[in-house]
Order: sequence, then structure tokens, then C-alpha cells
Amino acid sequence: MTTSWWEPAQGGAGPRPYVDIGGPAGDRDPVAASSATSGVRPYLITQGRARPNDTSLRLEAQVSTTDDGARSLSRLAYERHDIVVLCHDPQSIAELAARLHLHLGVARVLVGDLVEAGLLAVRHPEDARHRVQIIERVIRGLQAIS
Amino acid sequence: MDSKPSADVPVRRPPLPVKIVIAGGFGVGKTTAVAQISETPVLTTEAPITEVAAEVDRTGLVPDKTTTTVALDFGTVAIDDEVKLYLFGTPGQDRFGFMWHDLTVGALGALVIVDTSRLDDCYPAVDYFERTGLPFLVAVNLFDGRLAHELEDVRWALDLSDDTPVVTFDARDRASVRDTLVTLLRRSLAMASATGV
Ligand SMILES: Nc1nc2c(ncn2[C@@H]2O[C@H](COP(=O)(O)OP(=O)(O)OP(=O)(O)O)[C@@H](O)[C@H]2O)c(=O)[nH]1
Ligand SMILES: [Mg+2]
Repeated sequence: MTTSWWEPAQGGAGPRPYVDIGGPAGDRDPVAASSATSGVRPYLITQGRARPNDTSLRLEAQVSTTDDGARSLSRLAYERHDIVVLCHDPQSIAELAARLHLHLGVARVLVGDLVEAGLLAVRHPEDARHRVQIIERVIRGLQAIS
Repeated sequence: MDSKPSADVPVRRPPLPVKIVIAGGFGVGKTTAVAQISETPVLTTEAPITEVAAEVDRTGLVPDKTTTTVALDFGTVAIDDEVKLYLFGTPGQDRFGFMWHDLTVGALGALVIVDTSRLDDCYPAVDYFERTGLPFLVAVNLFDGRLAHELEDVRWALDLSDDTPVVTFDARDRASVRDTLVTLLRRSLAMASATGV
């Protein structure tokens, strides 16, 4: 995968990442570039990818900032920076998307990239194991609501 | 947003997330129900339609339809010091390729809210949950406190199996939403126990 977003080149004052996402003009992603005129913003942020490589990232998966992520904030810009800041308080991809006004598919792609770069960690939901016990806990928790 | 969290500050252990899906046609009370039970303000995000995403993956081209989205509302309940419940509400209408899989994979169950004067609005959700074996419950929202059809008629009209619960509830009433969720989870528990997972 391309890691052009990860280079500390933007310096905070450059163009929006979705304009410059392809890095140097020479290796600009033709999909992203051609879309620039069609005004489909969400897919430019993610270089035309609607999904992360890791499709197991669920809406409710809990995302948190790693030590590396916290140390790398100054090298991140825009959406990625905001995600790493917000995830100091662990939260789901759905919450991130809502808080940052990102399309869910976009939030997922960005989180996938940041996880791959080691800046975020994910706690996946547990499925089969302990399902009965978890359902019982949720029932008890709901019954405690008055 | 510019303050840098110190690397020494221990990052909080994330909760264990679980989810319940709240489905049903437009305007049946999904958001109202989520808001009653959620401890956090209901948040909304735009969800993509799966078909479009698949198109991107396959051709590498961005199709014209990329703006096709559906609103997804959600709220949360802290169940205990570890488990956090997410309630996702969506119309999930009959659009082909709606993200049902994304939304429901791993869910504890689904609440299908129906307004008996527009029963057919819930067909796509019921069809999907039956096909995938997700535990679900049909909750008839009593607009004006009146039931346009008897519950057994609703079961018949939707061709539901005998063990799918059909109940009435009031989406504006917290206790009613809570009890309906508990009824759903008892069904989930019965199904999970039966399959031994
Ligand atoms: N009389 C009555 N009104 C209700 C009840 N439940 C919801 N409403 C009202 O019906 C309207 C629609 O409710 P929502 O909760 O927004 O429905 P929804 O399913 O989220 O709607 P969409 O997201 O647009 O599909 C709102 O004005 C609610 O106040 C009910 O039990 N009785
Ligand atoms: Mg709604």
C-alpha cells in the first residue's frame, strides 16, 4: 500500500490532503486525480478506496491511540491527525465517523491505514467465544436501567 | 486539538463492544427508541451502500453512485465496567446492496420495529435476518396506543416462525424499549445456547 500520507511533507500549511493525496505529481493515482473534477470528496481522502484492506474492521470495533500514535501527531495532518487525537479516548469507528463528519467507509479506510502504520490499535469484538455469557451480562445490564 | 497527549499517559483499555441492530421502515420510531435507552446523545453517520464499494474494488474506478448512502443513527449503553452496547438504527430499506452484512455481522440480535399500517416496510429486514439466522424480534410500535392488527395477524402476515417473538412497545417509553431489548436478548440467548457457542 502507498504510504504517501505518512510522510511529514505537508508541514501543516499545504493543500488539503485530498487534493494532494497522490504525493508528487508523477506518481499521482490516476483514479484520485480524475475524480478531483467530479467532486466526490470522500473517495479522494482515501485514494479511491472504499474499504480498508482489512475488511474485518467492524463499525463497533474499538480504536485507541498507541504510544507510537501519540508520538507521531506532529507528522499527521487533517483527518488522520484528528482520528489519532480522538482515539486517545478509545471509541468505535462509528463514533469517529460521526464526530469527524466522515463517511463511514472513509473513516474505516483511514483507521485501517493508521492501524497498519502502528499508530492505532483495535480491540475487535469477540464472537463465538463466551457469547452466552456476554448476552447474559447485557441482559443484566439492561435490567439495571430504571 | 493540537495538545499532544504525553506518550507516558496510559491509554485507557478499550471496552468490549457488542451491538444490537434496530431496523424497520421510515418513520417507525427507530431513532426515538435508540434515544430513549442511549446514555450518550444519538450520533448519526452516513453509511455506504455495499454494492458501490464492491464496484470500486473490482474495477478500480470510482462509479457515479458514490454518494449513495443511508443514515445510520446510533447510541450506546455502558453495560458494566467492560461491555459497551451499541444500538445501530437504520431504515435499511429495499435498496439492493444495502450494507446489511456490515451492520449485522456479530450482532447479538435485531429489533425490527413495525407500524402495522405499513407492514410491508419491514420485509427486507425480516427476510435478511431469517436468511442469515440472526436472532430478531418484531416490535409493533403503538402509534396512538392502537393496534391496527392483532399480533397473531402480524405474525401471519410476516410469515414468522413460532419462536420469533412479536410484541407491542412504545418507542417513546424507556422502560418499554428496555424490556423489548431484554426479550430480544432472551431469544438470542436461547439460540446461542442451542448452538453451543
Ligand atoms: N404517537 C407516536 N409517535 C411516535 C412513536 N414513536 C415515534 N413517534 C414519532 O414518530 C416520528 C418518527 O420517529 P423516529 O424515531 O424519527 O422514526 P425513525 O424510524 O427513526 O425514522 P427515519 O429515521 O426517518 O426512518 C417522530 O416524530 C416520533 O416522535 C409512538 O410510539 N407513538
Ligand atoms: Mg431515524
